[in-house]
Amino acid sequence: MRIFDPHIHMTSRTTDDYEAMRDAGVRALVEPAFWLGQPRTNVGSFVDYFDSLLGWERFRAAQFGIAHHCALALNPKEANDPRCSEVLDVLPRYLVKDGVVAVGEVGYDSMTPEEDDAFARQLELALRHDLPVLVHTPHRDKQEGTKRTLDVVRESGLAPHRVLVDHLNETTVKMVADAGCWMGFSVYPDTKMDETRMVALLAEYGTERMLVNSAADWGRSDPLKTRKTGLAMLDAGFGESDVDTVLWRNPVEFYGQSGRLELEPVAAGAVDAATGSSVLRGER
Amino acid sequence: MTFHLGYGTNGFANHRLDDALAVIADLGYTAVALTLDHHHLDPFADDVGKQTEQVATRLQELGLRVVVETGARYLLDPRRKHHPTLVSEDQEVRVDFLVRAKQIAADLGADCVSFWSGVGSPDAWDHLKSGVAAVLETGPSVPLGLEPEPGMVVERLDQALRLRTELGNPDLLRITLDVGHCVAVEPQDAAACIRQAGELLVNVQLDDMLPGVHEHLEFGEGQLDLPATLAALTGIGYTGVAAVELPRHSHAAPDVAARALRALRAAQWLADAERAVRADPAAIDTLFPAAGRAVGAGQDAARVRLLTAFADVADDPADGLTRLYRYGTSAERRGVLCGLAEVGDRAPAAGVALVEDALRSNETDLVAAALGPFATRHLGRHAWRHGVLKCLFMGIPLTAVDGLDRHSDAELLRMVAAFADERRAAGRPVPADALALLGKAS
Repeated sequence: MRIFDPHIHMTSRTTDDYEAMRDAGVRALVEPAFWLGQPRTNVGSFVDYFDSLLGWERFRAAQFGIAHHCALALNPKEANDPRCSEVLDVLPRYLVKDGVVAVGEVGYDSMTPEEDDAFARQLELALRHDLPVLVHTPHRDKQEGTKRTLDVVRESGLAPHRVLVDHLNETTVKMVADAGCWMGFSVYPDTKMDETRMVALLAEYGTERMLVNSAADWGRSDPLKTRKTGLAMLDAGFGESDVDTVLWRNPVEFYGQSGRLELEPVAAGAVDAATGSSVLRGER
Repeated sequence: MTFHLGYGTNGFANHRLDDALAVIADLGYTAVALTLDHHHLDPFADDVGKQTEQVATRLQELGLRVVVETGARYLLDPRRKHHPTLVSEDQEVRVDFLVRAKQIAADLGADCVSFWSGVGSPDAWDHLKSGVAAVLETGPSVPLGLEPEPGMVVERLDQALRLRTELGNPDLLRITLDVGHCVAVEPQDAAACIRQAGELLVNVQLDDMLPGVHEHLEFGEGQLDLPATLAALTGIGYTGVAAVELPRHSHAAPDVAARALRALRAAQWLADAERAVRADPAAIDTLFPAAGRAVGAGQDAARVRLLTAFADVADDPADGLTRLYRYGTSAERRGVLCGLAEVGDRAPAAGVALVEDALRSNETDLVAAALGPFATRHLGRHAWRHGVLKCLFMGIPLTAVDGLDRHSDAELLRMVAAFADERRAAGRPVPADALALLGKAS
């Protein structure tokens, strides 16, 4: 089973996770920029984070044979803090980089005017930089938030196939399917989807434009949920090709629209990565 | 309008002509250099007129512009390669062939017929001139491109130009230039040859070569400066065909042709990017990041060239270098560090700050790139020694360190010896590079 996790926050994960992911078949991933649990208080904090997603985290992933890409954005939660929103002026400098395959996560958290503004401006940036967009849908008032998300996307002039609307569930999938956007599902313990419900949605809606991610981050989450969903699909009678469509071909097709996917991991520098299971610091 | 990138069918000798044209067009070339040969539009075939018509249709369907080449090896004589030539006694055989080629070129709507002089004595100069004159006078009005060919009577551009002058500068006698030949035998580089040929240039062959060796190589295997060569073609306003000339690579033609086009596109991107940066140094902000996907494997070298162009025109190179590094990805930072060897002397304080930053990082690529010639020249001895030791810690081969042998000193050796002792005490292997360094000193 080859796996492309289209949404996972590796910055918060350990080398044990990288090792287990590689063993489970994960060969590529996209790490979208989001909040870190602890709120940021200034633009510099974002800049260091973006550098980390383009530098250190990519380097770390390469040691485990995993191709690391990222999506960059000001996330909706922090769009509400005026000390942070100026990062939108720095963002264009980063959207031209190799390894940046989308603008994201953008979207709504509490549906404030500040979030409206940041969302619209970043959709415009995506258009200008010819990048697809990863949209987060809110935890609270999800249906209304998803509906409003689709309205904003429609007004932006972005084609629906350039947009992935994420964290969907039984109550929000249909409107996104009808809008023609890609549909993302986070299989994440307790708060989002689980494997069984995911398989039921795949049975109902088919595999086209459907993406499954672990969204693993600093919360109680599981970076192997992609594989577990694949296994649940097989148990439910889906074929290997269906699993490959959902866990590999769909994310490759969606993020491939950036023209910047590099599915061979960037060489891990001057060091033979095969010999070490963790980052080299002289322990060999 | 710019020139048309093409591929020579003599590099597809194991393909049917129709197939070769399709493969070349499918790869993305927009032109072809068609070498007339016994199996590729034989000018001596009874139905050559009909065949020419079919090829013309095919070229049109595929959208390929065409030049006619006449360098087939055994078309006129099955035993002697390239024989007879314009410097042979039986020159009329070659003249007849070239006139047939002109007719085919006219029927195909080709830009020109390209030809060379032949191997022989310099005494054959006048004989050659009369042969060229005969070809010019006979048949349809088609431009001829005289190609200087290493080892032949006309092997350099100045000789081709002299022959033209002596013939009274006929309008239809122009120049074909093989840029690889320029590397092999010309006293100046290919870009300078292109500028010298100027308006007389009617056909260009593209390949790499080493000085003094007439062997057609794939791009990157010789010493041709491809971006500068393409920039020179743009510079003189050349709008004709520039076709890859790799006649000894037919066994792997489709792969070789695909690689060549990738190299040409990367070089073209770089040539355009250098020009853009020289016109407006601020352009480097978007071009420097894009170099990775535009150029691929050669991205470090490409970024060094962009930095060189930038440093030549920027008001404050130090500020620019610092900014590109500060907002750079790992690959961009590596590019800046590599570039310090070329441009760092113009901003030594800023350069040292960047090297120090890279040496604080834990990315092997950055640490390795930081210890280049710039660090040897400008970094403090203490920091440099710690950089070398860090390489040993991180498993970076010491070949990454510029000037290690010259700059090793007693203090460095003491540090490395202590490091080796510590490794042994922990029961861990001592890196071979550390032992080698200590061994050389003892």
